[in-house]
Amino acid sequence: MRRRIDPVDLLLHVWGGLVFIFLFLPIVMIVIYSFNVGRLMVAWQGFGLNAYHAAIADPGIRAAIGVSLRAGVGASLVATILGTLAGVALARRPGPWVPLFVGILGLTLVTPEIVDAVSLLPWFVWLGTDAHVTVFNNGLIRLIVGHSLFATAVVTFIVRARIAGLDESLEEAAADLYAPPWNRFRQITLPLLMPAVLAGALMSFTLSLDDTIISAFVQVSGSTPWPVYIFSALRAALRPQIAAMSTLMLGLTLLAISMVAVVLRRSGESSTQIAGTLAGGGV
Amino acid sequence: MSQAVATPPRAAQQAPQRTRRRVPSFVLALPAWVWLLGFFLAPVSLVIWYSFGRKPSLFATHSNDVLSFDRYKESMDPAYLPTFVNTLRVGIVGTTLCLLIALPFAYWLAVKIPARWRGLLLGLVLVPFWTNFLVRTLGWSIILSPQGWVSTTLQAIGLRDAPLSVLYTRGAVQLGVVYNYLPLMILPIYVAFERIEPSLREASRDLGANRWRTMLQITLPLARPGIVAGLLLVFIPLMGDYITATVLGGAKGNMVGQLVASQFQTAQNWALGSAMAVILMTFIGVTVAVLALIFRSASAIARSRRGFTLDEAEVTR
Repeated sequence: MRRRIDPVDLLLHVWGGLVFIFLFLPIVMIVIYSFNVGRLMVAWQGFGLNAYHAAIADPGIRAAIGVSLRAGVGASLVATILGTLAGVALARRPGPWVPLFVGILGLTLVTPEIVDAVSLLPWFVWLGTDAHVTVFNNGLIRLIVGHSLFATAVVTFIVRARIAGLDESLEEAAADLYAPPWNRFRQITLPLLMPAVLAGALMSFTLSLDDTIISAFVQVSGSTPWPVYIFSALRAALRPQIAAMSTLMLGLTLLAISMVAVVLRRSGESSTQIAGTLAGGGV
Repeated sequence: MSQAVATPPRAAQQAPQRTRRRVPSFVLALPAWVWLLGFFLAPVSLVIWYSFGRKPSLFATHSNDVLSFDRYKESMDPAYLPTFVNTLRVGIVGTTLCLLIALPFAYWLAVKIPARWRGLLLGLVLVPFWTNFLVRTLGWSIILSPQGWVSTTLQAIGLRDAPLSVLYTRGAVQLGVVYNYLPLMILPIYVAFERIEPSLREASRDLGANRWRTMLQITLPLARPGIVAGLLLVFIPLMGDYITATVLGGAKGNMVGQLVASQFQTAQNWALGSAMAVILMTFIGVTVAVLALIFRSASAIARSRRGFTLDEAEVTR
Protein backbone atom coordinates (compact mmCIF):
# COMPACT_ATOMS: atom_id res chain seq x y z
CA MET A 1 0.00 0.00 0.00
CA ARG A 2 1.51 3.30 -1.05
CA ARG A 3 0.71 6.29 1.14
CA ARG A 4 -1.15 9.02 -0.69
CA ILE A 5 0.13 12.52 -0.23
CA ASP A 6 -2.41 14.63 1.54
CA PRO A 7 -3.36 17.62 -0.68
CA VAL A 8 -3.32 20.07 2.24
CA ASP A 9 0.15 18.90 3.24
CA LEU A 10 1.29 19.30 -0.33
CA LEU A 11 -0.05 22.86 -0.41
CA LEU A 12 1.74 23.63 2.85
CA HIS A 13 5.02 22.29 1.47
CA VAL A 14 4.64 24.42 -1.65
CA TRP A 15 3.80 27.47 0.49
CA GLY A 16 6.85 26.85 2.69
CA GLY A 17 9.08 26.68 -0.37
CA LEU A 18 7.60 29.83 -1.85
CA VAL A 19 8.07 31.80 1.37
CA PHE A 20 11.72 30.73 1.49
CA ILE A 21 12.21 31.88 -2.10
CA PHE A 22 10.56 35.19 -1.20
CA LEU A 23 12.78 35.59 1.87
CA PHE A 24 15.99 34.89 0.01
CA LEU A 25 15.34 36.52 -3.36
CA PRO A 26 16.65 40.03 -2.56
CA ILE A 27 19.60 38.69 -0.58
CA VAL A 28 20.63 36.44 -3.47
CA MET A 29 20.29 39.47 -5.76
CA ILE A 30 22.72 41.49 -3.64
CA VAL A 31 25.21 38.61 -3.56
CA ILE A 32 24.98 38.12 -7.35
CA TYR A 33 25.25 41.82 -8.15
CA SER A 34 28.29 42.15 -5.89
CA PHE A 35 30.16 40.37 -8.71
CA ASN A 36 29.05 42.94 -11.24
CA VAL A 37 32.01 44.61 -12.96
CA GLY A 38 29.91 47.52 -14.20
CA ARG A 39 30.02 50.98 -12.70
CA LEU A 40 26.40 50.94 -11.53
CA MET A 41 25.11 48.16 -9.31
CA VAL A 42 21.78 47.67 -11.09
CA ALA A 43 23.15 47.50 -14.65
CA TRP A 44 24.85 44.10 -15.10
CA GLN A 45 28.03 44.28 -17.18
CA GLY A 46 29.86 41.05 -16.45
CA PHE A 47 31.27 38.82 -13.74
CA GLY A 48 34.33 39.79 -11.73
CA LEU A 49 35.78 40.54 -8.32
CA ASN A 50 36.48 44.20 -9.09
CA ALA A 51 33.84 45.45 -6.68
CA TYR A 52 35.43 43.55 -3.78
CA HIS A 53 38.88 45.04 -4.49
CA ALA A 54 37.39 48.50 -4.87
CA ALA A 55 35.27 48.18 -1.71
CA ILE A 56 38.20 47.10 0.44
CA ALA A 57 40.38 49.88 -0.94
CA ASP A 58 37.72 52.62 -0.64
CA PRO A 59 38.61 54.88 2.35
CA GLY A 60 35.02 56.07 2.76
CA ILE A 61 33.64 52.52 2.99
CA ARG A 62 36.42 51.44 5.32
CA ALA A 63 35.80 54.39 7.63
CA ALA A 64 32.06 53.71 7.67
CA ILE A 65 32.56 50.02 8.49
CA GLY A 66 35.03 51.03 11.20
CA VAL A 67 32.54 53.44 12.78
CA SER A 68 29.79 50.80 12.62
CA LEU A 69 31.94 48.12 14.25
CA ARG A 70 33.10 50.45 17.03
CA ALA A 71 29.57 51.72 17.69
CA GLY A 72 28.34 48.11 17.66
CA VAL A 73 30.92 46.96 20.21
CA GLY A 74 30.26 50.02 22.40
CA ALA A 75 26.48 49.77 22.28
CA SER A 76 26.58 46.05 22.89
CA LEU A 77 28.88 46.49 25.91
CA VAL A 78 26.65 49.17 27.43
CA ALA A 79 23.43 47.29 26.73
CA THR A 80 24.79 43.96 27.93
CA ILE A 81 26.11 45.32 31.22
CA LEU A 82 23.04 47.45 32.01
CA GLY A 83 20.62 44.81 30.77
CA THR A 84 22.25 41.91 32.62
CA LEU A 85 22.25 43.79 35.93
CA ALA A 86 18.67 44.91 35.42
CA GLY A 87 17.56 41.41 34.38
CA VAL A 88 19.14 39.90 37.51
CA ALA A 89 17.50 42.56 39.68
CA LEU A 90 14.09 41.98 38.08
CA ALA A 91 14.20 38.23 38.55
CA ARG A 92 15.97 38.01 41.92
CA ARG A 93 15.12 41.18 43.83
CA PRO A 94 11.55 42.03 42.91
CA GLY A 95 10.06 45.03 44.64
CA PRO A 96 7.42 47.70 44.20
CA TRP A 97 9.56 49.37 41.50
CA VAL A 98 9.19 46.41 39.12
CA PRO A 99 5.94 47.32 37.31
CA LEU A 100 7.12 50.87 36.59
CA PHE A 101 10.51 49.66 35.38
CA VAL A 102 9.01 46.97 33.16
CA GLY A 103 6.63 49.63 31.84
CA ILE A 104 9.52 51.89 30.84
CA LEU A 105 11.36 48.99 29.20
CA GLY A 106 8.18 48.10 27.32
CA LEU A 107 7.81 51.71 26.23
CA THR A 108 11.36 51.65 24.83
CA LEU A 109 10.45 48.57 22.83
CA VAL A 110 7.21 49.94 21.38
CA THR A 111 8.41 53.45 20.57
CA PRO A 112 9.01 53.70 16.83
CA GLU A 113 12.64 54.33 16.01
CA ILE A 114 11.91 57.59 14.25
CA VAL A 115 10.57 59.03 17.54
CA ASP A 116 13.73 57.97 19.39
CA ALA A 117 15.75 59.54 16.61
CA VAL A 118 14.04 62.92 16.59
CA SER A 119 14.10 63.01 20.40
CA LEU A 120 17.79 62.25 20.69
CA LEU A 121 18.89 64.85 18.16
CA PRO A 122 17.71 67.97 20.11
CA TRP A 123 18.68 66.27 23.37
CA PHE A 124 22.29 65.74 22.27
CA VAL A 125 22.44 69.25 20.82
CA TRP A 126 21.18 70.65 24.13
CA LEU A 127 23.54 68.52 26.23
CA GLY A 128 26.52 69.29 24.04
CA THR A 129 26.10 73.03 23.51
CA ASP A 130 23.79 74.43 26.20
CA ALA A 131 24.75 72.14 29.08
CA HIS A 132 28.41 71.96 27.97
CA VAL A 133 28.64 68.19 28.38
CA THR A 134 30.98 68.07 25.42
CA VAL A 135 31.26 64.27 25.19
CA PHE A 136 27.90 64.38 23.47
CA ASN A 137 29.40 66.28 20.58
CA ASN A 138 31.35 63.12 19.81
CA GLY A 139 29.62 61.22 17.04
CA LEU A 140 30.67 57.78 18.23
CA ILE A 141 29.36 58.42 21.77
CA ARG A 142 26.05 59.60 20.30
CA LEU A 143 25.76 56.44 18.20
CA ILE A 144 26.59 54.20 21.16
CA VAL A 145 24.00 55.89 23.38
CA GLY A 146 21.35 55.88 20.65
CA HIS A 147 21.86 52.23 19.79
CA SER A 148 21.99 51.05 23.39
CA LEU A 149 18.43 52.05 24.40
CA PHE A 150 16.34 49.45 22.60
CA ALA A 151 19.13 46.91 23.09
CA THR A 152 19.17 47.42 26.88
CA ALA A 153 15.49 46.51 27.06
CA VAL A 154 16.05 43.45 24.85
CA VAL A 155 18.99 42.20 26.95
CA THR A 156 17.06 42.78 30.19
CA PHE A 157 14.17 40.63 29.00
CA ILE A 158 16.44 37.86 27.64
CA VAL A 159 18.41 37.71 30.90
CA ARG A 160 15.28 37.83 33.05
CA ALA A 161 13.74 34.95 31.10
CA ARG A 162 16.90 32.89 31.55
CA ILE A 163 17.38 33.60 35.26
CA ALA A 164 13.71 32.88 36.02
CA GLY A 165 14.37 29.32 34.83
CA LEU A 166 17.43 28.85 37.06
CA ASP A 167 17.49 27.20 40.45
CA GLU A 168 18.47 29.70 43.13
CA SER A 169 19.90 26.97 45.38
CA LEU A 170 23.34 27.15 43.70
CA GLU A 171 23.66 30.82 44.62
CA GLU A 172 22.42 30.07 48.13
CA ALA A 173 24.99 27.31 48.45
CA ALA A 174 27.72 29.75 47.45
CA ALA A 175 26.45 32.21 50.06
CA ASP A 176 26.47 29.45 52.66
CA LEU A 177 30.08 28.75 51.76
CA TYR A 178 30.93 32.40 52.55
CA ALA A 179 31.37 33.61 48.98
CA PRO A 180 31.17 37.42 48.99
CA PRO A 181 28.36 38.79 46.79
CA TRP A 182 30.67 39.79 43.93
CA ASN A 183 32.39 36.38 43.77
CA ARG A 184 29.05 34.67 43.99
CA PHE A 185 27.83 36.68 41.02
CA ARG A 186 31.01 36.15 39.00
CA GLN A 187 31.57 32.48 39.74
CA ILE A 188 28.03 31.13 39.96
CA THR A 189 25.36 33.44 38.55
CA LEU A 190 27.24 34.77 35.54
CA PRO A 191 28.38 31.39 34.14
CA LEU A 192 24.80 30.11 34.45
CA LEU A 193 23.57 33.22 32.67
CA MET A 194 26.20 33.07 29.94
CA PRO A 195 23.96 31.82 27.13
CA ALA A 196 21.52 34.67 27.72
CA VAL A 197 24.27 37.26 28.10
CA LEU A 198 25.95 36.08 24.89
CA ALA A 199 22.69 36.07 22.96
CA GLY A 200 21.90 39.54 24.31
CA ALA A 201 25.33 40.88 23.39
CA LEU A 202 25.10 39.46 19.88
CA MET A 203 21.59 40.79 19.49
CA SER A 204 22.63 44.31 20.56
CA PHE A 205 25.64 44.20 18.27
CA THR A 206 23.61 43.29 15.20
CA LEU A 207 20.83 45.73 16.10
CA SER A 208 23.46 48.44 16.21
CA LEU A 209 25.02 47.37 12.89
CA ASP A 210 21.56 47.39 11.33
CA ASP A 211 20.41 50.73 12.67
CA THR A 212 19.82 53.40 10.06
CA ILE A 213 17.19 55.75 11.44
CA ILE A 214 18.70 56.76 14.79
CA SER A 215 22.17 56.86 13.24
CA ALA A 216 21.08 59.16 10.43
CA PHE A 217 19.87 61.68 12.99
CA VAL A 218 22.51 61.60 15.71
CA GLN A 219 25.66 61.13 13.62
CA VAL A 220 28.03 64.04 13.16
CA SER A 221 30.24 64.38 10.09
CA GLY A 222 33.24 62.12 10.35
CA SER A 223 31.35 59.40 12.18
CA THR A 224 29.06 58.09 9.46
CA PRO A 225 28.19 54.45 10.12
CA TRP A 226 27.81 51.92 7.29
CA PRO A 227 23.99 51.94 6.89
CA VAL A 228 23.93 55.74 6.75
CA TYR A 229 26.74 55.61 4.18
CA ILE A 230 24.59 53.34 2.00
CA PHE A 231 21.55 55.52 2.59
CA SER A 232 23.33 58.63 1.39
CA ALA A 233 24.82 56.70 -1.54
CA LEU A 234 21.22 56.13 -2.70
CA ARG A 235 20.96 59.81 -3.60
CA ALA A 236 24.04 59.62 -5.77
CA ALA A 237 24.62 56.41 -7.74
CA LEU A 238 24.70 52.94 -6.21
CA ARG A 239 27.95 51.24 -7.05
CA PRO A 240 28.52 47.46 -6.87
CA GLN A 241 31.07 48.10 -4.10
CA ILE A 242 28.16 48.52 -1.71
CA ALA A 243 26.81 45.08 -2.63
CA ALA A 244 30.30 43.59 -2.27
CA MET A 245 30.85 45.03 1.21
CA SER A 246 27.32 44.00 2.24
CA THR A 247 28.04 40.43 1.14
CA LEU A 248 31.22 40.40 3.22
CA MET A 249 29.34 41.78 6.22
CA LEU A 250 26.60 39.18 5.80
CA GLY A 251 29.23 36.44 5.77
CA LEU A 252 30.76 37.79 8.98
CA THR A 253 27.38 38.12 10.71
CA LEU A 254 26.38 34.57 9.79
CA LEU A 255 29.71 33.31 11.12
CA ALA A 256 29.22 35.11 14.43
CA ILE A 257 25.66 33.81 14.74
CA SER A 258 26.59 30.22 14.03
CA MET A 259 29.28 30.49 16.70
CA VAL A 260 26.77 31.72 19.26
CA ALA A 261 24.30 29.03 18.17
CA VAL A 262 26.99 26.39 18.76
CA VAL A 263 27.71 27.80 22.24
CA LEU A 264 24.01 27.77 23.06
CA ARG A 265 23.60 24.23 21.78
CA ARG A 266 26.52 23.06 23.94
CA SER A 267 24.73 24.47 26.97
CA GLY A 268 21.75 22.32 26.09
CA GLU A 269 19.22 24.67 24.54
CA SER A 270 16.79 23.34 21.97
CA SER A 271 16.84 24.78 18.46
CA THR A 272 13.59 26.60 19.14
CA GLN A 273 14.95 28.15 22.31
CA ILE A 274 18.10 29.20 20.46
CA ALA A 275 16.12 30.83 17.68
CA GLY A 276 13.90 32.45 20.28
CA THR A 277 16.82 33.99 22.15
CA LEU A 278 18.61 35.00 18.97
CA ALA A 279 15.47 36.68 17.72
CA GLY A 280 15.05 38.72 20.86
CA GLY A 281 13.98 36.48 23.69
CA GLY A 282 10.59 37.58 24.96
CA VAL A 283 8.65 35.75 22.27
CA MET B 1 26.76 14.71 66.06
CA SER B 2 25.81 15.51 62.54
CA GLN B 3 23.40 18.08 63.93
CA ALA B 4 26.22 19.85 65.71
CA VAL B 5 28.29 19.98 62.54
CA ALA B 6 25.46 21.27 60.45
CA THR B 7 24.37 24.05 62.76
CA PRO B 8 27.35 26.48 62.83
CA PRO B 9 27.39 27.33 59.11
CA ARG B 10 23.67 28.01 59.15
CA ALA B 11 24.04 30.30 62.12
CA ALA B 12 26.96 32.08 60.53
CA GLN B 13 25.04 32.47 57.34
CA GLN B 14 22.50 34.70 59.05
CA ALA B 15 24.96 37.57 59.40
CA PRO B 16 25.91 38.11 55.75
CA GLN B 17 22.32 37.52 54.76
CA ARG B 18 21.18 40.39 56.93
CA THR B 19 23.76 42.77 55.46
CA ARG B 20 22.73 41.63 51.97
CA ARG B 21 19.14 42.51 52.70
CA ARG B 22 20.12 46.08 53.55
CA VAL B 23 21.03 46.74 49.92
CA PRO B 24 17.87 48.19 48.35
CA SER B 25 16.41 45.79 45.84
CA PHE B 26 16.61 48.10 42.84
CA VAL B 27 20.32 48.92 43.10
CA LEU B 28 21.32 46.45 40.36
CA ALA B 29 18.72 47.93 38.06
CA LEU B 30 19.75 51.49 38.92
CA PRO B 31 22.24 51.95 36.04
CA ALA B 32 19.62 50.89 33.51
CA TRP B 33 17.06 53.19 35.19
CA VAL B 34 19.37 56.18 34.97
CA TRP B 35 20.34 55.37 31.38
CA LEU B 36 16.75 55.07 30.15
CA LEU B 37 15.66 58.11 32.16
CA GLY B 38 18.45 60.23 30.73
CA PHE B 39 18.39 59.07 27.13
CA PHE B 40 14.87 57.87 26.56
CA LEU B 41 12.28 59.44 28.87
CA ALA B 42 13.90 62.87 29.06
CA PRO B 43 14.41 63.33 25.29
CA VAL B 44 10.94 62.00 24.44
CA SER B 45 9.43 64.37 27.01
CA LEU B 46 11.40 67.19 25.42
CA VAL B 47 9.87 66.36 22.04
CA ILE B 48 6.38 66.37 23.55
CA TRP B 49 7.20 69.78 25.05
CA TYR B 50 8.48 71.08 21.69
CA SER B 51 5.27 69.99 20.02
CA PHE B 52 3.40 72.75 21.86
CA GLY B 53 5.84 75.41 20.65
CA ARG B 54 6.39 77.09 17.28
CA LYS B 55 9.05 77.93 14.72
CA PRO B 56 9.73 81.59 15.49
CA SER B 57 11.83 82.59 12.49
CA LEU B 58 13.48 81.22 9.40
CA PHE B 59 16.74 80.51 11.20
CA ALA B 60 15.49 79.13 14.52
CA THR B 61 14.34 75.54 14.85
CA HIS B 62 11.84 75.95 17.70
CA SER B 63 10.63 78.19 20.48
CA ASN B 64 8.26 77.55 23.36
CA ASP B 65 7.46 81.19 24.20
CA VAL B 66 3.86 80.75 23.02
CA LEU B 67 2.24 77.44 23.92
CA SER B 68 -0.58 76.14 21.75
CA PHE B 69 -2.03 73.14 19.97
CA ASP B 70 -1.49 74.87 16.62
CA ARG B 71 1.22 72.45 15.47
CA TYR B 72 -1.24 69.58 15.91
CA LYS B 73 -3.81 71.42 13.80
CA GLU B 74 -1.10 72.12 11.24
CA SER B 75 -0.16 68.41 11.11
CA MET B 76 -3.74 67.54 10.29
CA ASP B 77 -3.64 70.02 7.41
CA PRO B 78 -4.74 68.67 3.99
CA ALA B 79 -1.07 68.84 2.98
CA TYR B 80 -0.08 66.24 5.57
CA LEU B 81 -3.25 64.35 6.51
CA PRO B 82 -3.18 62.02 3.45
CA THR B 83 0.29 60.86 4.55
CA PHE B 84 -1.05 59.85 7.96
CA VAL B 85 -3.93 57.99 6.34
CA ASN B 86 -1.59 56.35 3.85
CA THR B 87 0.78 55.25 6.60
CA LEU B 88 -2.06 53.71 8.55
CA ARG B 89 -3.24 51.89 5.42
CA VAL B 90 0.24 50.58 4.56
CA GLY B 91 0.61 49.56 8.22
CA ILE B 92 -2.68 47.68 8.47
CA VAL B 93 -2.48 46.05 5.02
CA GLY B 94 1.19 45.15 5.60
CA THR B 95 0.54 43.62 9.02
CA THR B 96 -2.43 41.63 7.68
CA LEU B 97 -0.43 40.31 4.72
CA CYS B 98 2.43 39.32 7.04
CA LEU B 99 -0.06 37.42 9.21
CA LEU B 100 -1.62 35.64 6.23
CA ILE B 101 1.78 34.61 4.89
CA ALA B 102 3.23 33.68 8.27
CA LEU B 103 0.36 31.60 9.68
CA PRO B 104 0.51 28.68 7.20
CA PHE B 105 4.29 28.97 6.98
CA ALA B 106 4.85 28.83 10.74
CA TYR B 107 2.36 25.95 11.00
CA TRP B 108 4.20 24.06 8.26
CA LEU B 109 7.56 24.63 9.96
CA ALA B 110 6.34 23.67 13.43
CA VAL B 111 4.11 20.73 12.54
CA LYS B 112 4.93 19.29 9.12
CA ILE B 113 8.73 19.43 9.25
CA PRO B 114 10.62 16.70 11.16
CA ALA B 115 12.16 18.04 14.38
CA ARG B 116 15.77 17.55 13.28
CA TRP B 117 15.31 19.85 10.28
CA ARG B 118 13.40 22.56 12.14
CA GLY B 119 16.47 24.20 13.70
CA LEU B 120 18.19 24.56 10.36
CA LEU B 121 15.11 25.90 8.56
CA LEU B 122 14.43 28.33 11.39
CA GLY B 123 18.01 29.50 11.12
CA LEU B 124 17.37 30.13 7.42
CA VAL B 125 14.29 32.23 8.27
CA LEU B 126 16.57 34.30 10.47
CA VAL B 127 19.12 34.99 7.73
CA PRO B 128 17.15 37.92 6.22
CA PHE B 129 16.64 39.16 9.76
CA TRP B 130 20.41 39.33 10.18
CA THR B 131 21.04 40.92 6.81
CA ASN B 132 21.17 44.68 6.90
CA PHE B 133 17.70 46.14 6.61
CA LEU B 134 18.74 48.67 4.00
CA VAL B 135 20.66 46.10 1.96
CA ARG B 136 17.63 43.79 1.80
CA THR B 137 15.54 46.69 0.59
CA LEU B 138 18.17 47.50 -2.03
CA GLY B 139 17.87 43.89 -3.19
CA TRP B 140 14.24 44.57 -3.99
CA SER B 141 15.10 47.74 -5.86
CA ILE B 142 17.36 45.60 -8.10
CA ILE B 143 14.51 43.16 -8.72
CA LEU B 144 11.90 45.83 -9.36
CA SER B 145 14.14 48.18 -11.34
CA PRO B 146 12.89 48.97 -14.88
CA GLN B 147 16.41 48.15 -16.15
CA GLY B 148 16.72 45.01 -13.99
CA TRP B 149 16.69 41.42 -15.15
CA VAL B 150 13.07 40.77 -14.17
CA SER B 151 11.93 43.64 -16.33
CA THR B 152 14.13 42.66 -19.30
CA THR B 153 13.16 38.98 -19.03
CA LEU B 154 9.47 39.82 -18.92
CA GLN B 155 9.89 41.95 -22.02
CA ALA B 156 12.02 39.34 -23.80
CA ILE B 157 9.46 36.59 -23.36
CA GLY B 158 6.72 38.99 -24.37
CA LEU B 159 4.81 39.20 -21.06
CA ARG B 160 5.29 42.96 -20.99
CA ASP B 161 5.90 45.38 -23.79
CA ALA B 162 7.17 48.18 -21.56
CA PRO B 163 9.79 48.18 -18.77
CA LEU B 164 8.52 47.20 -15.31
CA SER B 165 7.03 50.22 -13.54
CA VAL B 166 6.62 48.96 -9.97
CA LEU B 167 9.54 50.78 -8.36
CA TYR B 168 8.61 54.10 -6.73
CA THR B 169 4.94 53.21 -6.33
CA ARG B 170 2.87 52.48 -3.25
CA GLY B 171 2.80 48.81 -4.31
CA ALA B 172 6.60 48.63 -4.05
CA VAL B 173 6.50 50.13 -0.55
CA GLN B 174 3.82 47.66 0.47
CA LEU B 175 5.88 44.75 -0.86
CA GLY B 176 9.00 46.10 0.84
CA VAL B 177 7.45 46.41 4.28
CA VAL B 178 5.82 42.96 4.08
CA TYR B 179 9.19 41.52 3.16
CA ASN B 180 11.14 43.43 5.81
CA TYR B 181 8.89 42.57 8.75
CA LEU B 182 7.79 39.04 7.79
CA PRO B 183 10.43 37.24 9.94
CA LEU B 184 9.17 39.17 12.99
CA MET B 185 5.73 37.68 12.38
CA ILE B 186 6.94 34.15 11.62
CA LEU B 187 9.08 33.72 14.75
CA PRO B 188 6.60 34.25 17.59
CA ILE B 189 3.85 32.33 15.75
CA TYR B 190 6.25 29.47 15.09
CA VAL B 191 7.26 29.36 18.75
CA ALA B 192 3.57 29.31 19.77
CA PHE B 193 2.71 26.48 17.34
CA GLU B 194 5.75 24.50 18.37
CA ARG B 195 4.75 24.57 22.03
CA ILE B 196 1.35 22.98 21.39
CA GLU B 197 1.46 19.27 22.24
CA PRO B 198 0.67 17.11 19.17
CA SER B 199 -1.48 14.96 21.46
CA LEU B 200 -4.03 17.79 21.69
CA ARG B 201 -4.60 17.75 17.95
CA GLU B 202 -4.79 13.95 18.02
CA ALA B 203 -7.30 14.07 20.86
CA SER B 204 -9.39 16.53 18.90
CA ARG B 205 -9.32 14.22 15.86
CA ASP B 206 -10.19 11.18 17.99
CA LEU B 207 -13.19 13.05 19.33
CA GLY B 208 -14.44 13.48 15.79
CA ALA B 209 -13.38 17.00 14.88
CA ASN B 210 -12.20 17.45 11.32
CA ARG B 211 -8.94 19.30 10.57
CA TRP B 212 -10.56 22.74 10.15
CA ARG B 213 -12.41 22.46 13.41
CA THR B 214 -9.22 21.35 15.17
CA MET B 215 -7.41 24.31 13.60
CA LEU B 216 -10.06 26.85 14.58
CA GLN B 217 -10.91 25.56 18.05
CA ILE B 218 -7.64 24.06 19.30
CA THR B 219 -4.56 25.19 17.43
CA LEU B 220 -5.31 28.84 16.68
CA PRO B 221 -6.69 29.73 20.15
CA LEU B 222 -3.60 28.18 21.73
CA ALA B 223 -1.31 30.09 19.38
CA ARG B 224 -2.99 33.39 20.18
CA PRO B 225 -0.21 34.84 22.38
CA GLY B 226 2.25 34.25 19.53
CA ILE B 227 -0.09 35.82 17.01
CA VAL B 228 -0.60 38.90 19.19
CA ALA B 229 3.17 39.23 19.72
CA GLY B 230 3.73 38.95 15.97
CA LEU B 231 1.11 41.60 15.18
CA LEU B 232 2.74 44.05 17.61
CA LEU B 233 6.29 43.25 16.49
CA VAL B 234 5.33 43.98 12.88
CA PHE B 235 2.85 46.84 13.21
CA ILE B 236 4.81 49.15 15.51
CA PRO B 237 8.13 49.35 13.65
CA LEU B 238 6.30 49.31 10.31
CA MET B 239 4.36 52.46 11.18
CA GLY B 240 7.54 54.36 11.99
CA ASP B 241 9.53 53.01 9.06
CA TYR B 242 10.75 55.52 6.54
CA ILE B 243 13.74 53.68 5.09
CA THR B 244 11.68 51.22 3.03
CA ALA B 245 9.45 54.03 1.82
CA THR B 246 12.41 56.17 0.79
CA VAL B 247 14.25 53.37 -1.04
CA LEU B 248 11.28 51.78 -2.81
CA GLY B 249 8.73 54.58 -2.82
CA GLY B 250 10.92 57.52 -3.75
CA ALA B 251 9.04 60.81 -3.58
CA LYS B 252 5.70 58.97 -3.65
CA GLY B 253 6.52 56.88 -0.59
CA ASN B 254 4.47 59.07 1.70
CA MET B 255 5.04 57.61 5.12
CA VAL B 256 4.80 59.67 8.31
CA GLY B 257 8.36 58.72 9.17
CA GLN B 258 9.54 60.60 6.09
CA LEU B 259 7.45 63.64 7.04
CA VAL B 260 8.86 63.76 10.56
CA ALA B 261 12.40 63.28 9.30
CA SER B 262 12.08 66.05 6.75
CA GLN B 263 10.70 68.50 9.35
CA PHE B 264 13.79 67.88 11.46
CA GLN B 265 16.41 67.55 8.73
CA THR B 266 15.37 69.85 5.88
CA ALA B 267 12.55 72.18 6.99
CA GLN B 268 14.20 72.69 10.42
CA ASN B 269 10.77 73.04 12.00
CA TRP B 270 11.24 71.04 15.18
CA ALA B 271 7.92 72.09 16.68
CA LEU B 272 5.91 70.75 13.75
CA GLY B 273 8.09 67.63 13.46
CA SER B 274 7.59 66.95 17.17
CA ALA B 275 3.82 67.30 16.89
CA MET B 276 3.84 64.85 13.97
CA ALA B 277 5.93 62.38 15.98
CA VAL B 278 3.49 62.61 18.90
CA ILE B 279 0.54 62.06 16.52
CA LEU B 280 2.30 59.02 15.04
CA MET B 281 2.72 57.53 18.53
CA THR B 282 -0.95 58.26 19.27
CA PHE B 283 -2.02 56.57 16.00
CA ILE B 284 -0.02 53.47 16.94
CA GLY B 285 -1.34 53.46 20.50
CA VAL B 286 -4.97 53.84 19.41
CA THR B 287 -4.71 51.15 16.71
CA VAL B 288 -3.12 48.71 19.15
CA ALA B 289 -5.84 49.48 21.73
CA VAL B 290 -8.61 48.95 19.14
CA LEU B 291 -7.04 45.66 18.05
CA ALA B 292 -6.77 44.53 21.67
CA LEU B 293 -10.44 45.36 22.19
CA ILE B 294 -11.46 43.42 19.06
CA PHE B 295 -9.34 40.42 20.09
CA ARG B 296 -10.76 40.42 23.59
CA SER B 297 -14.39 40.70 22.61
CA ALA B 298 -13.94 38.10 19.84
CA SER B 299 -12.56 35.57 22.29
CA ALA B 300 -15.28 36.46 24.83
CA ILE B 301 -17.93 35.73 22.21
CA ALA B 302 -16.23 32.49 21.24
CA ARG B 303 -16.04 31.47 24.88
CA SER B 304 -19.71 32.14 25.58
CA ARG B 305 -20.74 30.16 22.50
CA ARG B 306 -18.54 27.21 23.25
CA GLY B 307 -19.29 27.22 26.95
CA PHE B 308 -15.72 26.37 27.93
CA THR B 309 -12.19 27.40 27.10
CA LEU B 310 -8.91 25.64 26.91
CA ASP B 311 -6.75 26.93 29.68
CA GLU B 312 -3.43 27.78 28.17
CA ALA B 313 -1.43 27.07 31.28
CA GLU B 314 -2.86 23.58 31.56
CA VAL B 315 -2.26 22.43 28.03
CA THR B 316 1.00 24.06 27.00
CA ARG B 317 4.34 22.77 28.02
